[in-house]
Amino acid sequence: MSAISTPASLSRKTLRSEPGALSNVIRFLRRNPLVVLGLAIFIAWVIISIGAPWVAPYDPLKQNIALRLQPPSAEHWFGTDQLGRDVFSRVLWGGRLSLPAGILVILIAGVIGTVIGALAGFIGGWLDEGAMRVTEVFMAFPTIILAMAIAAALGPSLINAVAAMVVVWWPNYARVVRSLVIGVKTQEYVEAARAIGVPQQRVLWRTVLPNCLAPAVVLATIDLGNAILVFAGLSFLGLGADPTTPEWGRMVSDGIQYFDQWWIAAFAGLAIFTVVMAFNFIGDGIRDALDPRLRKNI
Amino acid sequence: MPIYRYILRRLALLIPLLIGVTLLAFIISNAVPADPVTANLGQKAMSDPKIVAAFRAEWGLDRPPAEQYLVYLQNLLSGDLGRSIKSRRAVAEDLASYLPATIELATTAILFGVTVGVALGLLSALRRNTWIDHTARVISLFGVSTPVFWLALVALYIFYARLGWVAGPGRLDAGMTPPPHVTGLYTVDSLLAGDWRTFSNAASHLILPALVLASYTTGLITRVTRSSMLEVLGMDFIRTARAKGLADNKIVVRHALRNALIPLITVIGFSYGNLLAGTVLTEAIFAWPGIGQYAYRASTSLDFPAIMGVSLLIALIFILINLIVDVLYFVVDPRLRAT
Repeated sequence: MSAISTPASLSRKTLRSEPGALSNVIRFLRRNPLVVLGLAIFIAWVIISIGAPWVAPYDPLKQNIALRLQPPSAEHWFGTDQLGRDVFSRVLWGGRLSLPAGILVILIAGVIGTVIGALAGFIGGWLDEGAMRVTEVFMAFPTIILAMAIAAALGPSLINAVAAMVVVWWPNYARVVRSLVIGVKTQEYVEAARAIGVPQQRVLWRTVLPNCLAPAVVLATIDLGNAILVFAGLSFLGLGADPTTPEWGRMVSDGIQYFDQWWIAAFAGLAIFTVVMAFNFIGDGIRDALDPRLRKNI
Repeated sequence: MPIYRYILRRLALLIPLLIGVTLLAFIISNAVPADPVTANLGQKAMSDPKIVAAFRAEWGLDRPPAEQYLVYLQNLLSGDLGRSIKSRRAVAEDLASYLPATIELATTAILFGVTVGVALGLLSALRRNTWIDHTARVISLFGVSTPVFWLALVALYIFYARLGWVAGPGRLDAGMTPPPHVTGLYTVDSLLAGDWRTFSNAASHLILPALVLASYTTGLITRVTRSSMLEVLGMDFIRTARAKGLADNKIVVRHALRNALIPLITVIGFSYGNLLAGTVLTEAIFAWPGIGQYAYRASTSLDFPAIMGVSLLIALIFILINLIVDVLYFVVDPRLRAT
C-alpha cells in the first residue's frame, strides 16, 4: 500500500491553500500535458452537459417515426435512432446523467466509507475487526455482479442503480481511510492534541481526518472513470435509466437491435470513452506525480 | 511458518468469509421491495391466491427469513445449493453446465492479456519516452478506457458483419454439435476428439469475445509491467549488474523482471478473477452461455437460490485465486520464505 502513504507529501504541496500552492499546481500541469488534456475534455463535457438544452439542435425525446434510422447527415449529424430521435442531441444530453451519476456514487460512497473507515481505524478493537470483515465480504463479490444483483432486486431505475453502486463502492474507501487514520493517529501532533485535553471526537474529526483526506480525494479522482464505466454497464443491461431517457449506456444497448445502423450505438460509446479517458489522463498524471520513484530513473 | 500451514490457516479463514457471502447474498435477495413471486409467475397465476400460496410453499418463501437462511446453510453443509426457480434444476448442476464456457472465455482472455501486456509493458519501460513507449501507453489507455460492451458491438460489426473474418455470437454455428464432454471447453474437447472442423469453428467463435474481454486486462497489465519495471530498473543492484558488465538481456530477464514479478502476479491474479466474474457484459452481447449470463438472468428474475449459488461460486473463485497469488509470492520472493 505504498501508494497510499506517499500522497501526503504531494497533497501538502498542491492541495492545501498555502502561499505558493497555485504556482505548484501550475508547475504540475505544465509538466503533465496529458492532465491538462484530461481536464480540458472533462470541462468541455461539463459545459456541454449544462448547456445541452441550448446547444442540442433537437429535443432528445422527440420522436419522428418518418425519419427513423437515418444515417448521419447535415441535418442529423449523428443520424437518428429507431424512434427517429436525433442521436447527436441525445449524446449531448447523456452527459447530464452519466457524469452526475458517477460523481454522486463516488461522493456518497466516499463519505460513507470515510466515516466507517475513520471510526474503525481510530477506535480500533472489535469495531475495527468487525468493519474490516464486513468490507472483506463485500469485496469478495466482483463489482458488476454485486451491483447487478442489487440493482435488479431494487428494481431498474436511475436512483437504484446509483444506490446499488454505492453499496458496492464504499468498502474501498473504508479500507483506504482506515489505513490512513491508523498511520496518522500515532503521530506526535495527535498525541499533543490529546495531551492538551482535546476531546476524542474532536481529535478524530478535526486533527486526524483532515490529514487523511487528500489521498482519499486523489483516489476518488482516479476512481471516477471506473464508476462512470460501471454505471454505463448497468444502464446497458437495462438496470439503470428507463428506455426513453437519453443515457449513454442505454443508447449503446439500443444499438444492438439495429446492428446495421451503427451510428445509434457508436457515438454514445465514444462519449463514454472520451469521459473515461479524460479521467484516466488525470489519474495517471496524479499517480506519476505521487510516485517519485518513477520520475528519477533511467 | 511452513507453507502448508500458511495455506491451511488461510483455508480456515475462508469459511467465515463464505458464510458472510451467503448472508449478504441472502439479504440482497430478501430484504428488498421486489418479490420473486411477481418476477416468476404470470399475470394469470398471480391472480389465483392458491397458486401464489403453493409457489411460496414450494420455495420456502412462506417461512420467516431467518429460518429460510438457516435451512439454506444446513443444505449447503451437505453440498446442496438448492434448486433454481427459473430453470427448476439443481443450482449446482446449472453452475456446472455454465461455468466451462466462462472458463474458456476468461482463460483465453488472460493468456492474451498476459502475453501482449507483459511484452508491451517491457518494451515500453526499456524504450522509455520513445515512440514505442508512447504507442504502448496510448494502447493501454485505450484498453482501460473503452466500455467493453461498446467495444464488443464495434468488433462484431467490423469483424463479423462487415469483414466476415470470424464467426458471430454463440459458441458454435447453429446446427453443429458440441464435442463429447470432457472439460466442457469446446476448443479443448474438440482437439481431444481430433475433430478439426469443430475446433476451428469453436475457435472462430471464441476469438472475438476473448479479445474484447481482454482489452481492459491487457491495458492494465501493460501499465503495471511498465511501472514496476521502471521502478526496478532504477534500483542500485541494476546499476551494479550493469557495472559488472552483464549483458543487457540478462539484466532485464534475470534481475529486473524477476523483481518486478510481485506486483505483476498480483495484478494477473486479480485480473483473472475479474475476468471470470466480469464476463456479464461480454457474454450478453456474444450470446455466450456462461456464468455471467446465468447471473444476469438469476438477478433479473430474483431467482434467489441461483443468485446465492452464483455469488458463492464467484466469491470462492476470487478467494482461491487470491490465495494462489499469495502462495506464489513465496515461490517468487525467497525473502518471504525466511520470515
